[in-house]
Amino acid sequence: MNPEKERQRAVHSGVEGASARKPELEADQAHEDEPSRKALAYSKFYGGKVGFAPKVPVRSLQDFSIWYTPGVAAVSKAIEADPGLSFEYTGRWNTIAIVTDGTRVLGLGNIGPEGALPVMEGKALIYNYLGGVNALPLPVRAKSADELVSIVKAMEPSLGGVNLEDIESPKCFDVLDRLRREMSVPVWHDDQQGTAGVTLAALFNALEVTGRELRGTRIVLYGAGAANVAAERLLVEAGADPRDIVVVDSKGILHPERDDIDQLMLKNKWKYELAIRTNGDRAKGTLKDALKGADVLVAAARQGPDAIKPDEVAVMNKRAIAFFLANPVPEMFPDAARAAGVEVVATGRSDFPNQVNNSLLFPAIFRGALDVRAKTITDSMVIEAATELASFAREKGIGKEYILPTMVQWEVYPRVATKVGQAAIREGVARKRMSAKESMQAAMATIEMSRKVMNTLRDGGVIVDPPE
Amino acid sequence: MVIRHARADDVEAISDLIVRTKRLNNEFDPLFAVAPDAKERAEKYLRTSLAAPGHLLLVALEGKKVVGVLKAEMRERIFYEPRNEGRITDFYIMPEHRRKALGDEMIQQAAAELKSMGAEIVVADVPAQNEIANRFYVKRGFRALINQFAKGP
Repeated sequence: MNPEKERQRAVHSGVEGASARKPELEADQAHEDEPSRKALAYSKFYGGKVGFAPKVPVRSLQDFSIWYTPGVAAVSKAIEADPGLSFEYTGRWNTIAIVTDGTRVLGLGNIGPEGALPVMEGKALIYNYLGGVNALPLPVRAKSADELVSIVKAMEPSLGGVNLEDIESPKCFDVLDRLRREMSVPVWHDDQQGTAGVTLAALFNALEVTGRELRGTRIVLYGAGAANVAAERLLVEAGADPRDIVVVDSKGILHPERDDIDQLMLKNKWKYELAIRTNGDRAKGTLKDALKGADVLVAAARQGPDAIKPDEVAVMNKRAIAFFLANPVPEMFPDAARAAGVEVVATGRSDFPNQVNNSLLFPAIFRGALDVRAKTITDSMVIEAATELASFAREKGIGKEYILPTMVQWEVYPRVATKVGQAAIREGVARKRMSAKESMQAAMATIEMSRKVMNTLRDGGVIVDPPE
Repeated sequence: MVIRHARADDVEAISDLIVRTKRLNNEFDPLFAVAPDAKERAEKYLRTSLAAPGHLLLVALEGKKVVGVLKAEMRERIFYEPRNEGRITDFYIMPEHRRKALGDEMIQQAAAELKSMGAEIVVADVPAQNEIANRFYVKRGFRALINQFAKGP
């Protein structure tokens, strides 16, 4: 039997133990080589994944007197008089930039803006296909947070929103905070809000499956980077008691008396404040010390598969929940976690049940925000999105191996978008008011249009299938 | 929260806090690299100054736990008027007790005690690049007096 099938069989039979680890790793290798080979070949074949397509007809060259000069001058003058009209008369309402400085790309690290470009193109494609959003892949050369902030701000007139991506921590916190304050279009950092939002949705359902409420649940966040710093904020906003949350990083449990606390105050104020706000018992020590008596572990720390050991999760409470979010190799494989007593396990991977996948959220978040011309994306909009994501899965019937929708359940996107748009209106951050029904119709129409464009281009032979 | 004069049995706890201030200083300049035996030296230095005249050592306590320390000493300004200064040389508050006005209380008590010891002015030493400390004093009416320049290995 080939290793991949063997691993799949082991996963489904639920008997995967430590002895199944070796074939699993080999299978992973084979599993990962195939997309890599295809990605290289196809990227060259297509010369990039996204491009511009016109939205207006060119019936003859005469039409350019409408789309361009002299006709366009009237549109420009109208927008000059009221810059808000740029959201009505141009594609700004549905255009975002995916901006990165290339300092922390996927699991690859600081590979520079050019290296980040294929990733941003891929993200643009997901935005387009699942959310109907025109996303421009825009890696930029920026040496500092100040430079990055000023570049992004300078692009505001052309954009309905900004997706920050793959920026190193703690720079990403500073950049996001400043841009959210200083820009009047939504600025989203997917590695913070996106990952945290999907994590929250997954947690809502995992708590339901294990008979818990968020308040009173003891949560350990392993890793204090972009995802978990945002997760703590969202968890507290959603009702968790910060004193019941313990953050652990590579130096152990975060607490206000740690030797590096003043260094954190100067270099990473987000982590410094976490140290003071969380960990009500003022616990000290290792990950294992933190996990004693914990109900939930959210690991967004480092590549596995042995970054977390079975004996560490074994000390958690009964009916424990553990998310291992490192990609491509989770901190611990699900089989090992279940063998050590964890009841609900999630990872970032599509080949295991319960994939905590940002792609479930970001297309819908921006679809909803753009449709109401939102000025920002607040944390409560993200919580609304997470709640709707969780509700969708509940309607389908949740269980240990199904706590989140999957990407193929595309009906979830307009539903989440609607909740996001309505939340923006309630919070007074929307430029355009519409009913929930109108929100849903707008989201459906735009997303369906994107799919129709794709189908039409494929049917017409403009986009051909790749050569094998 | 209680602020009182330090006693001999506080010295170990205080020396921990003093070493923290030195480590914090090191974040601003490599010339503040902390000696490996800094804690032992701190204990010795504190025990000596506890007994010496012209020294002030205040601690802030939460229950029995030392959460803040302020060390100051009287110095004579040979060439200037006013002649007598009270100089705050070390001042540290544990992170979770910051931004709660404890710093203000300690500074005020220290200033009052230094005055009663004969101080006509109060000065405080902080690393030039410690913006947080600079802002703390400026906000309380202090102004920068001396720039200390260093050229080292």
